[in-house]
Amino acid sequence: MKAEFPIFQRLVNGKKLVYLDNAATTQKPSCVIDAMSEYYSSSNSNVHRAVHTLAGEATEGYEACRKLLKQRYNCDYAVITSGTTEAINLAARAWGECNLKSGDAIVLTEMEHHSDIVPWQMLAERIAIELRFVPVENGKLDMDALDVALEGAKLVCVVHTSNVLGVRNPVEDIISKAKAVNARVLIDAAQAVPHEMIDFKELGADFLAFSAHKMCGPTGIGALLISENAFAEMQPFMGGGDMIETVTLQGSTYQSNEHKFEAGTPRIAEGFGWAAALEWISKVDLESHHVRLLEIARKVAKQLTEKGMTVYSTLNPGDAAVVSFTHPSIHPEDFARLLDAQGIAVRTGHHCAQPLMDKLGVNGTIRASFYLYNDESDASNFLSGIDRVLEAMA
Amino acid sequence: MTWPDAIQEIIDEFQEIDDQFERLEVLMDFSSEVNELPFEEWNDSNLVKGCQSIAHIEVDIRDEKVWMKAAADAKMVQGLQGILSIAVNGSSPETVLKLTPNFAEEAGILVSLTPSRSNGFRTMFDMVQTRVKEAM
Repeated sequence: MKAEFPIFQRLVNGKKLVYLDNAATTQKPSCVIDAMSEYYSSSNSNVHRAVHTLAGEATEGYEACRKLLKQRYNCDYAVITSGTTEAINLAARAWGECNLKSGDAIVLTEMEHHSDIVPWQMLAERIAIELRFVPVENGKLDMDALDVALEGAKLVCVVHTSNVLGVRNPVEDIISKAKAVNARVLIDAAQAVPHEMIDFKELGADFLAFSAHKMCGPTGIGALLISENAFAEMQPFMGGGDMIETVTLQGSTYQSNEHKFEAGTPRIAEGFGWAAALEWISKVDLESHHVRLLEIARKVAKQLTEKGMTVYSTLNPGDAAVVSFTHPSIHPEDFARLLDAQGIAVRTGHHCAQPLMDKLGVNGTIRASFYLYNDESDASNFLSGIDRVLEAMA
Repeated sequence: MTWPDAIQEIIDEFQEIDDQFERLEVLMDFSSEVNELPFEEWNDSNLVKGCQSIAHIEVDIRDEKVWMKAAADAKMVQGLQGILSIAVNGSSPETVLKLTPNFAEEAGILVSLTPSRSNGFRTMFDMVQTRVKEAM
C-alpha cells in the first residue's frame, strides 16, 4: 500500500521514513493529492451560485463529498466544517445556545480531547451550564459514575476512541443510557472513523464529529453529521454568503439544508480531496486492517514493556492501534527527537488531553500510532530505533 | 561573523557532524557544562517561560563577570543550557550583552531541534541578557 503514498519515497534525516504519528494526521495517497491538484488546474471556481461551466464542475465535485459522506455513514445531514474542532464548536453554538439554559447539565468525560472540553467550557461561561465529567479509571470510563452524571443531563459528549490511549469507549451503551434520560448525544469520532465503519442512524447519536485528515484526506476539512431531530433544533450562528435564502436591509432568511451552517466560500479543493479519500478508503477492508494493526501494536507494546517502558494503552479488541508510553527517566521530547534523527516520526506531549494526562500522573507521553500503510517492518524499525535511543542514553 | 574562541569551537564541532543522531548526542553531552541550579532553588522567577519542557536559569554577576546556573528536565534542553553557559560564564556583562543567539544557528544546533526547542533556546538566551541588564 505504501506505493500509493508518495511521501514514503522520501528520506528523513537520511533514513527511510517510519511514520507512526497517524493519530495526529495520516498521509495522503496520490489519488487525493491528484484530485486537489486537478481541481485547481481544471475546475477552479466558486461553488453553488454561478451558472458557468467551471462553477458547475466545482459545485458537483464539492457536493460529491457531502453525498459520499451521507452514503458512507448513513445520515441525512452532513455539515462540512474545517474539522472535528469546528464541528464540535458548531454543535455548541448552533445547538447548545438554542437548547440549553442556565443550570442545565452537560456530561463529558476526563478522556476528552481539548476540542470536546473547551467549547463547552466557553458555552458554560456564556450561559452558566453545569459540566459533569465522567472519571477515567485504569484507562476506562467509569460507567457507574456515568449513570449518576446522566441524571437530568441535556447533552452527553463523549470521545468514541481516545487519541491518547486508543481506547474504544462503549459508545453504544453510553448512547442508550443517554437516550433513556432524553439527552442528546455528541460523539467525537475523529479517531474512530479512520478505523471502523460507523452507521450513524444505527448508532443513534445526534452529532458525530470527525476530520478528513485522519483518514487519508486533506487537512482543513471535516464534518458534523446531525440527526433529523437535532437538526430541527439548531439555528445558524455564523452569517454570511451561501447560507442565506434572501437578504434585505430589514432582515434575512436562511437556507433550509446544511448550507445554513456553512457561511462563506467553503473548502472546495479539500472537498475534492476528501471525496477522493472517501472513494479510496471505501475499497479498503478496514476491519481486517484494524485487526492486523492492533496485533502489531500489541507486539510493540509488549516489547516496550520488556525494555522498561510504562505503556498506558490497553489495546483491547476494538481499540485503535495506538501505543502511548513513557520511559522512567528519558524525557519524552528527548526520546522523540532521537527517534526522528533515525527517520521515525512519533508524537510527544499531552496530545491535547491535559486532564487525561493529569489522571495518568504524567506531563506527557510518547505516542506511536499505526495506520493502514504501516506494517511489521515499521514496527521492527521503530523497536530498533528505541534500542538505539536506550543505548545512547544509558 | 567572528565569535569568541569558545563559541567558535562549538560551531566547528557541530559543523563537522553530518549524522543527526550524533549531533543530538553531542548536544546532550554539553549538559555536563551546566552549573546546576539545585531543585530547591527552582522558582517562578527563574522559570523559563514559553519553554515546552521545564527549565530554570539563574544569573549572577560576581567580580564583574557573568555566571549562570541552570536546570531542565529534558537532556537536550540541559545541553542547550550547557552551550549557553560556555557562551556567557566568566564574560563581562558588556560582552554578554553584545552576543547574539545566531551562533547556535551557525553551528546548525537549532536545525536539529523542533521550532519549540529552538524558540526555547532563544527564550533562554533572552532571559540571560535580560537578567544581566537588570543586575548591571
